[in-house]
Amino acid sequence: MKSNDANYIQRLQRKKEDALEYIVDQYLPLMKGITFKVLSPLGNDGIIEECINDIFLSIWEHAHKFAGDSTDFRKWICAIAKFRAVDYYRKHNKLTNLLSQEQEIGTGESAEDELIRMEDRSELIKLIHLLEPVDRDIFIMKFFLGFKTGDIAAKLGLTKASIDNRIYRGKKKLNDKATNLNFGGSML
Amino acid sequence: MKDIYELLNDLDIDEHEAVEMEVDELEKAKVKRALKESIIQKRKRRSWRKPVAAAVMVVGLSAATLGLTFPAYAVSLPVIGNIFKFLDVGKVGVYDHYQEYSTEMNLTAESNGIKVIINNAIFDGETVAITYSLETNQDLGESPYLRGLLDMKGSIGGAGGSKITKVDSNRYVGLITETGFFKNEKPDTVKMNWQIEGMVVQENQKEIKGKWSFVFALEATEADTRVVGQSSELDGVTVQIGELSVTPMSFIVHYDQLVSEEIRNKWHGVDVDIEVKDDLGNLYSGKGNGGTGDNKGYHTSWSKTFERLDPNAAKLILTPHIRLYEYTSENFGSAEETKDGPKSAAILEKSGKGQEQFTMEDMVIDLGNLK
Repeated sequence: MKSNDANYIQRLQRKKEDALEYIVDQYLPLMKGITFKVLSPLGNDGIIEECINDIFLSIWEHAHKFAGDSTDFRKWICAIAKFRAVDYYRKHNKLTNLLSQEQEIGTGESAEDELIRMEDRSELIKLIHLLEPVDRDIFIMKFFLGFKTGDIAAKLGLTKASIDNRIYRGKKKLNDKATNLNFGGSML
Repeated sequence: MKDIYELLNDLDIDEHEAVEMEVDELEKAKVKRALKESIIQKRKRRSWRKPVAAAVMVVGLSAATLGLTFPAYAVSLPVIGNIFKFLDVGKVGVYDHYQEYSTEMNLTAESNGIKVIINNAIFDGETVAITYSLETNQDLGESPYLRGLLDMKGSIGGAGGSKITKVDSNRYVGLITETGFFKNEKPDTVKMNWQIEGMVVQENQKEIKGKWSFVFALEATEADTRVVGQSSELDGVTVQIGELSVTPMSFIVHYDQLVSEEIRNKWHGVDVDIEVKDDLGNLYSGKGNGGTGDNKGYHTSWSKTFERLDPNAAKLILTPHIRLYEYTSENFGSAEETKDGPKSAAILEKSGKGQEQFTMEDMVIDLGNLK
């Protein structure tokens, strides 16, 4: 049996390799577009190639966590692509950190900024679960997907100021929690 | 607790501003291959985690299993079936139907850890096209140069082209073509002899020497050939369409160019290229096979191969494009082989400078009685 429009998600979740080939055929142009947009400033085609492979491998390995139809699937893999590409960008561009390009008002380098840069972000994910759903989305967009505050505002139909405000309060909350949980030296 | 992938699944953001980028077959194949390799490696790593004691006990057995699993591993990788099409990077389309009419060869030669496999070959009566793969344990760069000679037995000379591309860290696929020129009639069967003596890594000019040798015969694909004999003349250049040869996967136009004394005195070189359309509006992409003629290049016999003819076409419309040009040190180098050894030819001063181009009136070939 071959993968087609109707069954590829299911086949992917069952680890059928032809489903992986199917999504490469279907979505490589899109994945390349997203990756290229984020990584082209690095001027290194090798990194772009590596990142694209990594995106598909992540989709393959985490497919069982996906729920939804093929429109949702497209959104999901776009988010993964953005997440992985931003990740690559940060790793390969330590000098001009993406986060510092847009300084938040009234907040300097904080604990989460440091946390973000840690290879393993599981702690941050733990902390994100403590936030309200809207703030959770804002934080994911901001810190995992590298969205600018203005874009987040447009997507959520909120003002830029209110996003800034939510990020500020959220950071404060996370900061307190993180201190309480005592994550230690890595944050200083 | 959810992980990032689940959180991203919950996140409802529209990526409508995401722009798709053009991707060709080569890129898709490369991604697929890289993915399969990663998946296989992960599986292998996982199987290593099995208890050490058990592994020690079955050492003898695992050596045997390795031998058995490797061929399976090779087969499970996606193989590029149609190299003709795969290497047609510019999407020219000339080779679109070559695969189905070609002969599967599967000839292998190995030397110095590099295996050369001839996959398919075809002789259209004019040109031999061979697809091959390299399997190597060392990196040969993006596009290695295969040093050696591809000879068509009995030909007095030849022209050819070659293309090779990397598929993954240890596999390459290539296409090599050779058009043989013969004194008399072209043979129906050609004996090919391909001797590769080395592979040069273009990036650092390092050569891996070895000996990969292939000898095989190819029979010409069935072709419907007819003499056209139409000609067109303009400003001292005559173009004569000699033969039209239609094969199941292509058609070949043979044509001659004759250049008048006057043009000959003014220009160093004259080239004629032919563009072909049909009465249905199809424009056929083609690939020149080179030509032979007198050593001054004024009377030359050319041939050009085009993609498969539309079976519904009733007429072919041929448009000759003429280019007159001056020899300069950049575009010309010549050496004449004489009894006393090679003699380099000097460039004579002529009045035509730079280049000039013009198009001749169309010639129409009625295909009616070809079918």
